[in-house]
Amino acid sequence: MGKKQKVILPPDLPPEISDDEIEVSDEDLQFVKENRDYAGFVSRLDTQSITKHVTRVADVNEDALEAIYEKRLKKKSALQKEDEEKNKVHVDPVDALPVKTLDGKLYYRTVAKTSKGEDENEAGEDEKDGDVDKSLVKLTKAEKRAKVKKSRKEAKKLGKEVDQPEEAEQAPQAAVLAKVKEDLTAEEAFESKKCKLAELGIALLSNPEANITSMKEILQIAKDDNPSISKLGLLSLLAVFKDIIPGYRIRLPTEKEQEMKVSKEVKKMRFYESTLLSAYKAYLQRLLAAEKKPLFQQVVVRCICNLLDAVPHFNCRESLLEVVVRNLGSADDVVRKLCCSTVRSLFTNEGKHGGEATVEAVRLIAAHVKANNCQLHPDFIEVLMSLTFDEDLRKPKATPEVDKKVKYKKFYKRKIPEEPSQQQENKRKMSKKELMSKTREEVAADYKAVSFAPDVEEKRRMQSETLSAVFETYFRVLKQTMLSIAASSETFTGSNTSASDPHPLLAPCLNGLGKFSHLIDLDYIGDLMNYLKKIAGGGSSYYSSSQKHVEHLTVSERLRCCIVAFKVMRNNLDALNVDLQDFFVQLYNLILEYRPGRDQGEVLVEALKIMLCDDRQHDMQKAAAFVKRLATFSLSICSAEAMAALVTLKNLLMRNVKCRNLLENDAGGGSVSGSISIYHPYATDPNLSGALASVLWELNLLSKHYHPSISTMITSISGMNTANNQVYHAILSPQQAFTDLSLERETFQPKSDIRKLNSKRKRGSASSTLSGIESTSDTSIDENEVSKKLAKHFIILRDIKENERLRGELDRTTLSLQLYEKYKKQKKAGEPKTKRKRAKIVD
Amino acid sequence: MRPLDEAETTAVFEKLYKFTGNNLKNIVENPSHEGPDPNPGRYCFRLHKNKVYYVSESLVKRATNIARANLVSLGVCIGKFTHSSKFHLTIQALSLVSANARHKVWLKPTSEMSFLYGNHVLKGGLGRITDTIAPGDGVVVFSMSDVPLGFGVAAKSTQDCRKLDPNGIVVLHQADIGEYLRMEDEL
Repeated sequence: MGKKQKVILPPDLPPEISDDEIEVSDEDLQFVKENRDYAGFVSRLDTQSITKHVTRVADVNEDALEAIYEKRLKKKSALQKEDEEKNKVHVDPVDALPVKTLDGKLYYRTVAKTSKGEDENEAGEDEKDGDVDKSLVKLTKAEKRAKVKKSRKEAKKLGKEVDQPEEAEQAPQAAVLAKVKEDLTAEEAFESKKCKLAELGIALLSNPEANITSMKEILQIAKDDNPSISKLGLLSLLAVFKDIIPGYRIRLPTEKEQEMKVSKEVKKMRFYESTLLSAYKAYLQRLLAAEKKPLFQQVVVRCICNLLDAVPHFNCRESLLEVVVRNLGSADDVVRKLCCSTVRSLFTNEGKHGGEATVEAVRLIAAHVKANNCQLHPDFIEVLMSLTFDEDLRKPKATPEVDKKVKYKKFYKRKIPEEPSQQQENKRKMSKKELMSKTREEVAADYKAVSFAPDVEEKRRMQSETLSAVFETYFRVLKQTMLSIAASSETFTGSNTSASDPHPLLAPCLNGLGKFSHLIDLDYIGDLMNYLKKIAGGGSSYYSSSQKHVEHLTVSERLRCCIVAFKVMRNNLDALNVDLQDFFVQLYNLILEYRPGRDQGEVLVEALKIMLCDDRQHDMQKAAAFVKRLATFSLSICSAEAMAALVTLKNLLMRNVKCRNLLENDAGGGSVSGSISIYHPYATDPNLSGALASVLWELNLLSKHYHPSISTMITSISGMNTANNQVYHAILSPQQAFTDLSLERETFQPKSDIRKLNSKRKRGSASSTLSGIESTSDTSIDENEVSKKLAKHFIILRDIKENERLRGELDRTTLSLQLYEKYKKQKKAGEPKTKRKRAKIVD
Repeated sequence: MRPLDEAETTAVFEKLYKFTGNNLKNIVENPSHEGPDPNPGRYCFRLHKNKVYYVSESLVKRATNIARANLVSLGVCIGKFTHSSKFHLTIQALSLVSANARHKVWLKPTSEMSFLYGNHVLKGGLGRITDTIAPGDGVVVFSMSDVPLGFGVAAKSTQDCRKLDPNGIVVLHQADIGEYLRMEDEL
């Protein structure tokens, strides 16, 4: 009871008194002795547990307390286990479910115990397991099996005699072993081959002339059955060839030449070259053969592209080019990208091959386009964009040469008649001059032969060939598009809408035409413009009245046509100022068809810039019509497009003073409005819309635009007036404005204070704006009112939308009902029974 | 005064079609707001003393009150039939044609006067020209500030104009507003 001394906590303990000190009275003793039964409990008192109960942990805090409790529990369970082990109580496996103790541990009662016991047994004895097994009567089957396995393993390890059943299982293991061995050998072979490849390659690279024969060995390796080995072989060959291929084209010696006596070095050189060439050819054959296999395709294409990129001047370029061009339209993205970049680099680095490969590639592309009827990947044509044509070569150099020739001719001509008269006098001089010129010519010829400077004539010829192939391709695409449009508009099947882009090549083709427009022959321009006009019309010009008309081309494509037409015109016709009326009509109508999500804003903006801003003169009616339409348009689209439209509008207004009548507040336009006295918003021809009779009321709405830059733009526009004829300067192009705002669009969030800012700005410029109403309302404006009005506005908008939706649903249901009615009528004739049934269903 | 007969109508419309193309229907369907009638009438063509007039229907009704011999003119005279029954547009038709013109040519300020004296339009005087002009098309001639000056027949297509030398004729003269002074008596 020594512990008790420390304890202070409840239950209150008797004061500390040593046993000795306790005085037990005689009477008590007597009583105990007399009634031993009563006192029996004392002896049976579990002092320990009492002390435990009472030992409430004087100087232990709460965490420790828990730990203590846990410890206690563990102890208890351990005790229990021991007990159980002692008793060897085997529980039936059925109720051998694990027990989760309070501390979260799982205890598998019997199983754990028995296995434990067995393990111990096993550790002790190895071969006498059987006996032990027998002794353990209550072993489960699984345990038995486990045991057998274990023993077998041990047996195997020890290499002891194997009995019958084991042998049966040995056979597959042997097979596995063999396989492993095989794998090992294969791996070794792989490694060794790799090493060999590396050795051969290094040898070749270090001294190609001496080791040229080892080329064949690598080729042999490249023909290996193992795909990875042969891939490696191909790639290493590529590296080797890239390095050792000479900077010239090898020409094998003719028989005559071979018969001639040559020095040792030349012989050696010839041998080297012929081996190299034959090896290269074999390699190419191997590549071409492997290219068909899908497994090899990427590697092979990479090899070919690299080769073509590195040594476009070398022999057998044609087959390489053929593969690359064919793969330009490959479905595999990687392959296509590789080929595209190769062809591009071929076009840009013409110095490597002197332009011949370019001609060939362009011709091949043209042939492919022709063969596939223009149904190819857009990349096919896209690569042509990177072609460069040396204009200096085309014009200025050509003319001086011709001039020189002419001059020479003139010179000679002049001289020849002079000669007879002056022959006598100047014979000496002449001969001297002739001598001089002769020697000069000789020197020039020699120089030409020696220097590898590309011949100008030759180069020009090649360029013109390239150009003709390129334009042939472009015109073919255009023609095909037009034909398909014509065909589809003839049949006029309303169902086959062009969901998928049926003219994949059109967009890159138009881009290319725009880029090379300055190189087109004047004779072609008429036809080209006709084509473009038809395509821009989308075949719709004759069906403009029918609403069911199917759009064959997207708005962007048609806009692009307009742009190309303008570019072509501008680049070619400096002398003649042609007014492309039809394209203006197209643009005028396309503006309405533009949808911000569907179509490319950049194209629209480019069209606006090229057609409306850059063109110097417009007639008044047209300009006014465009001003009006752009204002209407900018009401209904996102801020970026609206901004571009407004910049264009401002530009138009600046240059057409009379159009500023639109800014005045009286409708009718006065004397300038022309013969058409009313504005027709739906007119298709800008000249007939009568826009001058209208008023730009859109500006007033736009001045309340949520985007601050638009509203400032509007105030500056409405600040212009007809009275003063001052010159306004264009600040920025519509394209710039568009990109600015479309970049900003992601970050821009209309803030509440913008409205205030706007109203302030409005107040500031109220004097210059036209409407008096606005200025009066502005003074009393406050935020609440604005928000109320906005809320009202949006509620109305939502109602309208809801209304539209409901109406659409109604239409749909009525339509389906009608259809159903029709169907019923049809059925009625045939089967009266089913009709009745269906009538019931309808009810 | 009488409406045109079949042959005359085709002659007039063919001539107008050369200048206006599909816009011809705007001329025919143009509603007129003349007269006190609440619903707008149309314009129609009337022949009077070999001249063709473009008149509103309400005016035609009122003109019936006047004896044929006494009637000098009504509406807008747009042309006349020659003795060989061919139709010629006169300069008065300019307002009608220029509003609906399909092919236009703009003259440089320097060559305006030359045209107004009755000369053909040369390439050198060309300020601007619409695309898609074919030889034989009717062309309306404007000044650079969009004032209609007259009309004529194209001698060359737009494509051919490019290669033309500056003295080549682009538009053959038919009528110009100078005629109002020069031929005051005839009109």
